[in-house]
Amino acid sequence: MNITKTLDAKGLACPMPIVKTKKAMDTIHSNEVLEVMVTDKGALSDIPAWAKSGGHSIIDQKEEDGVIYFYIQKN
Amino acid sequence: MSNKVAIIAANGGMFDAYKVFNIATAAAASDKEVAIFFTFEGLNLIHKQGMHALEMPAGKEHFAEGFKKAQVPSIPELVEMATELGVKFIACQMTMDVMGLTKEDFVDNIEVGGAVTFLDFAKDASPTLTF
Repeated sequence: MNITKTLDAKGLACPMPIVKTKKAMDTIHSNEVLEVMVTDKGALSDIPAWAKSGGHSIIDQKEEDGVIYFYIQKN
Repeated sequence: MSNKVAIIAANGGMFDAYKVFNIATAAAASDKEVAIFFTFEGLNLIHKQGMHALEMPAGKEHFAEGFKKAQVPSIPELVEMATELGVKFIACQMTMDVMGLTKEDFVDNIEVGGAVTFLDFAKDASPTLTF
């Protein structure tokens, strides 16, 4: 998997992970992949819901040491 | 599917502010067109000085620590974020007249209007929320 950009949103509370993800997504091109690192548990359902509303795909997701990683491919 | 989210902010406490701006910024970040109608105490939330001194509900002051610990952004930060994301702020003209407030008392880029200005925006919005 080629990661185009990484967003470190660890420690941030709602709604900042979503706002920052949106801004980071605006800077990459279609089909490129954004890696998002978050610790906000709300993001577990928020990021997939946000991606769905924008037609983006979550191609992978994992959790390591309390950090959640999302890999979002831009629509 | 509607691409608009319409919000009425009618209360002026800190908790009210978070409810309003969290939903507004999340919606705007999801590419929704968002407008907030600030009326009565809700005007506090975009008042240049007022928004820095929003009160917690009586007896709930101990949550201040929780806000800090959870690294929740401040209200002025959320206001700036909302503006940056294109959220439209409509301040209620009638309330401003009653309270003796002018456009200069509020953050930049607000629109001043009456109920119909908001209703016109909200007529095809989904959801419309009131806080």
